[in-house]
Amino acid sequence: MNLIEIYVSEVGRRLPQTMRADIEAEIRSALEDMLEERSKKAGQPANDEMVLAMLKEYGDPEKVAASYLPERYLIGPSLYPIFMMVLRIALIVTGVLAAVGLGFAIYQSTLTAQGVFETVLRAAADFFTSLVIALGNIILVFAIIEWALYQSGKKIDLNGNAKKKEWDPHSLTKVMPSNRIKHSEVIIELVGCFIAIILFNFYPGLIGFTPSLNGVVGSGNWAIGFGSAEFVRLLSSAFFHFVPYLTAVWVLTIILNIILLIQGYWNTLDRIISIGLKVINIVIAAAMLAGPSLIALTLAGLTKSLGDAGTAQMILNLVTQVVHGALWLAIIAGSLDVIVRLVRLAQARAYIPR
Amino acid sequence: MGTNETIDNLILELRRGMLVLAVLSQLDNEQYGYSLINHLKENGLEIDQGTLYPLLRRLESQGLLQSNWRIEADRPRRYYIISEEGQKLLPQLKQEWNSIVTLMDKMLK
Repeated sequence: MNLIEIYVSEVGRRLPQTMRADIEAEIRSALEDMLEERSKKAGQPANDEMVLAMLKEYGDPEKVAASYLPERYLIGPSLYPIFMMVLRIALIVTGVLAAVGLGFAIYQSTLTAQGVFETVLRAAADFFTSLVIALGNIILVFAIIEWALYQSGKKIDLNGNAKKKEWDPHSLTKVMPSNRIKHSEVIIELVGCFIAIILFNFYPGLIGFTPSLNGVVGSGNWAIGFGSAEFVRLLSSAFFHFVPYLTAVWVLTIILNIILLIQGYWNTLDRIISIGLKVINIVIAAAMLAGPSLIALTLAGLTKSLGDAGTAQMILNLVTQVVHGALWLAIIAGSLDVIVRLVRLAQARAYIPR
Repeated sequence: MGTNETIDNLILELRRGMLVLAVLSQLDNEQYGYSLINHLKENGLEIDQGTLYPLLRRLESQGLLQSNWRIEADRPRRYYIISEEGQKLLPQLKQEWNSIVTLMDKMLK
């Protein structure tokens, strides 16, 4: 294969298939014209040196190919500020949870230099894994939104309406005031979902409690995560069975909130989806209540670690009540939330813009 | 960014719009890419291939140019010519260009 052919195929492989053959043919023809003229001027047949000089002038195949392509973004300028905001939230949540996880792990580890070193190393690996997964997913979501926006723009072009729909200042008053998103609400929900996803998927060990040292328990002297070297996992495998479903709902909630941040207001579809997600949450909470015990504690185990059956029973009852209470709260608060959202949906549908 | 690079970029921006008009105005007769480059050069306008070919393609996709492949001297060449739509548009563009020149002349005096 001669140099020109290699050059042409180097340009071609960087172009989409649909336009490749055509552009390749044109570049080949242009290069042959150029070479012919150069050879005439030099008064000698074309040689490799001439071809090299000509290709140098024509330019880097990468640049040549790029000049035929429209500018494309994985995440474009209009999405970038929101992308950075979501990324910051995810980074902070991941960082804080990793720090808490590390502190807790060091606390639990044998306090030898090697123990601490190993714990730090493991925590760093966990942090890195959760960070990569979080970043990857966020980038994926934004890239899909960017792609969808690009495709919708392209469709409009293909239909012959090359110009984007003209912006109408009236659209400012078309959005019902209560349909405008409240940034704080959206951000709080984003933070909550990130915490939940990372906590339950990457640091499940953080959820538990440690009965107090020396058996001085009297007043229920226990705390989430801290108290003594003997840590008791609070949640059973029955609970973790629900985590994938919950994670799916949280991820969808994050995507919905990202879309809301981009739009700046609620539309009917967003409202219906948000109600759907809340209903799924309620169903999951109800299934958790009805299913096998979510608590990993047993009376025998607790009695053994506390050395007092009465206190163990008391703690067990308390924990059970707290978990059930939390689920009932989720169901009741969730139902109220659904009602509020339904009312807002009805109001939004009835709203006639001025 | 150095001063030279800044100037280069600004000049590139200035030239970008002008090139469309220059190319459209010279394509009332059929030309293939390389002959158009030479023709423009003879008129004092240097344009590199990497700029011209994508520009021709864009103008064609906008319906302002038409093209067809022809075999000449054992070599396929793509000939471009201004389309009907391009011909309708050209006088308006020329008028716009003239008023820009007049305006800028006045401002830069």
